[in-house]
Amino acid sequence: MASEQQPQSVEETIVFDNVSKFYGEVLGVNRINLTFQAGITGLVGPNGSGKTTLMNLMTGLLRPTQGEVRVLGVSPSQPQNLFARLGYSTQFDSFPGGMTGYQFIYSYLRVHGFPHGEAHNLTWQTLERVGLTDAAERKVAGYSKGMRQRVRLAQAISHGPQVLVLDEPLNGLDPMARAEVIDIFKDLAETGCHLIISSHILHEVDMIADRVVLLSSGYVVAEGEIGGVRTEMNDHPIQVLIRCNKPSTVAARLFEHDYIVGASLHDDLQGLEVQTRDANRFYSQLNEIVINEEVDIETVTVADADVRAVYQYLIGNEGEAR
Amino acid sequence: MTSAAVGSSTKPVSPNTSGLDWGLIARQIAGILRLELRRNLLSRRSFGLYFLAFSPVGLFVIWALSPATEVLSGPAEAVAQVFAPIFGGFPPIFLGYLPTIIFLSALITFMSLFRSEILEHSLHYYYLTPVRRWVLVTGKYCSALISACCVFSVSTTLLFLLICIPFGLGDASQYILQGPGLGYLTTYIGLAIMACIGYGAVFLLLGLFFRNAIVPAAFIWAWESINFILPSLLQKISVIHYIRTLYPIPLPEGWLAVTTDATSPWMSVPGLLIFTALVLTFAGWRAGRMEVNYEGD
Ligand SMILES: Nc1ncnc2c1ncn2[C@@H]1O[C@H](COP(=O)(O)OP(=O)(O)O)[C@@H](O)[C@H]1O
Ligand SMILES: [Mg+2]
Repeated sequence: MASEQQPQSVEETIVFDNVSKFYGEVLGVNRINLTFQAGITGLVGPNGSGKTTLMNLMTGLLRPTQGEVRVLGVSPSQPQNLFARLGYSTQFDSFPGGMTGYQFIYSYLRVHGFPHGEAHNLTWQTLERVGLTDAAERKVAGYSKGMRQRVRLAQAISHGPQVLVLDEPLNGLDPMARAEVIDIFKDLAETGCHLIISSHILHEVDMIADRVVLLSSGYVVAEGEIGGVRTEMNDHPIQVLIRCNKPSTVAARLFEHDYIVGASLHDDLQGLEVQTRDANRFYSQLNEIVINEEVDIETVTVADADVRAVYQYLIGNEGEAR
Repeated sequence: MTSAAVGSSTKPVSPNTSGLDWGLIARQIAGILRLELRRNLLSRRSFGLYFLAFSPVGLFVIWALSPATEVLSGPAEAVAQVFAPIFGGFPPIFLGYLPTIIFLSALITFMSLFRSEILEHSLHYYYLTPVRRWVLVTGKYCSALISACCVFSVSTTLLFLLICIPFGLGDASQYILQGPGLGYLTTYIGLAIMACIGYGAVFLLLGLFFRNAIVPAAFIWAWESINFILPSLLQKISVIHYIRTLYPIPLPEGWLAVTTDATSPWMSVPGLLIFTALVLTFAGWRAGRMEVNYEGD
C-alpha cells in the first residue's frame, strides 16, 4: 500500500502475494499484490471488478488459483485460527430459516464456542450497537433490507474481531442508518481494527476510508491515500466518445472549461471525442449542455475499458442516471 | 454502547493454536447440535423422516385389520411373522423393507446437512466461525444421527408393542420381560441404529459432492442390494453387509440368499464403525477443501 506508511509486520497486516483466482475460464482477480494496514480501507470498483472475489479469498470461502493470502499471519485455510479474529459480512442476503435476529446472532456465537451467558450478553450488546434491540425477537425473514444488512453487520462484529471484512455494507441503508453504521465503522477503526469495506461507489467510502484500492476487471488499477488516487485519476485524462446531433456546439461549450484537455469532431459530424481530466465535472457540465442546448445524445462511451471502469466509480450514482 | 464492549470480549479460543482444545471443540459441537437438531426434527425437512419411520406402523395396522389376516398363536409367532420380513426383506425389495426405509431416511436427513445449506445460501455462516471443518462435519453428523436414531427407536418400539399387546397384557409382558422379546427389540433397534450410522455417513459425504441425489443414491441402493453376490472383499464396502450378520431371527432363505461369508457380530460392529470413520474422514477432508461459492446452485 502507500509507500509513506510505516511498514508493519506480517502479523499485523493482511497480505496478498501474487494472488489470482479463476472461475474455470472466467477471471475473478489477477496477480494481486496488496498489503492492508490497520484502519479503514475502501475496496472500490464497478460491479464485476473482483471486490467480492478478493474478500472471499481473504476469508477462505474461495481458494486462490495461484499465490498466497495471509491474514494477520494466518492462512485462511485454518478457520480455527482465523475466525476468532475476523468477521465477514458477505454480500449474500440470505439467512438460516426461521430465526429471530437474536437467535441468529446467539446461535452462531454458540458455534464459536462461547458459553450461554457470554453469548447472550454479546448478542444484546451488538444488537444494541446496530440499533436492532426492538426487532431482536422478530423473525429475520420479516426484516427490511436495511435491517437485514444491519443484522448481518452485527453478526460479523458480535465476537469482537480485529479484522472486519464488509461487502457493500451500505447497500440498502437509508441515510439515517447509513450515518449510524458509518459511526460504528469509525469507532471500530479507532480501536485499532482493520476494516475493509467494498463499494461500487467511490464517494460512498472516500469520506470514511483512510486508503482506497481501486479494482477494475480483476486488476488493481490504483491504490493509496484517497487524495493521491484522486490526483492520479485527474492527471490521467479520460477519453470520452459522444455521439450526438450537435457536436460542434457541445465542443464549443465544453472548451470553456479548464478540465477539458482536448476535443475533436468526428468526420461524419455526428459525434466528438473529448479528453478530460475531471470526469465528475465533465459529466455534470455535459448534462447542463444537453439541457440548455437541446442536444440529442445517442451514446456516451469511454474509449478504453479500464478508464471507463475508473470513470464509473468516480462519478458513482450520477453515472447510473445516464 | 461503547466500542470497547464489542472489542474486548474474552475470545473462546485457546492460546495454544496448534494443540486441540477439547473443551472448546465440545462446546462448538454443542453449538452445532443446538442449531441442527432443531432443523432435523422440527423443520419441514423432518416430515420425510417421520413419514418413513412410522410407515411400518401404519402398514402393520392396515395388515392387522384386514379380514384376510390369519390369527396367530402368540407374540413370539407374530414378531417372527412381522418383524423378520420387515427387517429381512421380501424378495422384490432386496435390501429389506426397514433397511430401505432407513436408507431413504438417511438420504433425506444426512444428505441435506450440507446440501440444503448450500441451496439456502447459509453455509458460509458456519464456514466463517473458528470451527475446524472436521468438527463441523462431526457436529452435523451427530445431530442427524441423534435425530434418526430417536425417531427409529420410537417407531420400532411402537410397532413391537402394537404387535404384542393384542395378545393381552399378560402374554405380552410375559413374552417381553421373561421371554426373548426385550432382547429381540433391543437387537432390532440396534440394527436400525447401525444402519443409520452407516448410511448416514455415506449420504453426508454424497451431499458434499452431488447437486442431484437421485443417480448416486440409486447406484448405492443397487450396490447394497446385490451385495451378497459380490466377491467377499467388495462386500465389506457396504453397510448392509455388516447389518445382515446381526439379524436375531434367521432370514427366510429365498433364491437370492446365496449367503455371505458369516462375519460374527464381534467383527460386524467394529467393521461398520471403521467403515463409517473412513467415510467421515473423507467427508471432513472434502468439507475443508470445499469453496463456498453458491453460483450456479
Ligand atoms: N461463482 C462464479 N463463477 C463464475 N464467475 C464468477 C463467479 N463469481 C464471480 N465471477 C466473475 O468474477 C468477476 C468478479 O466478480 P466479483 O468478485 O463478484 O465482483 P464484484 O464483487 O466487484 O462485483 C466477474 O467477472 C464475475 O462474473
Ligand atoms: Mg460483489
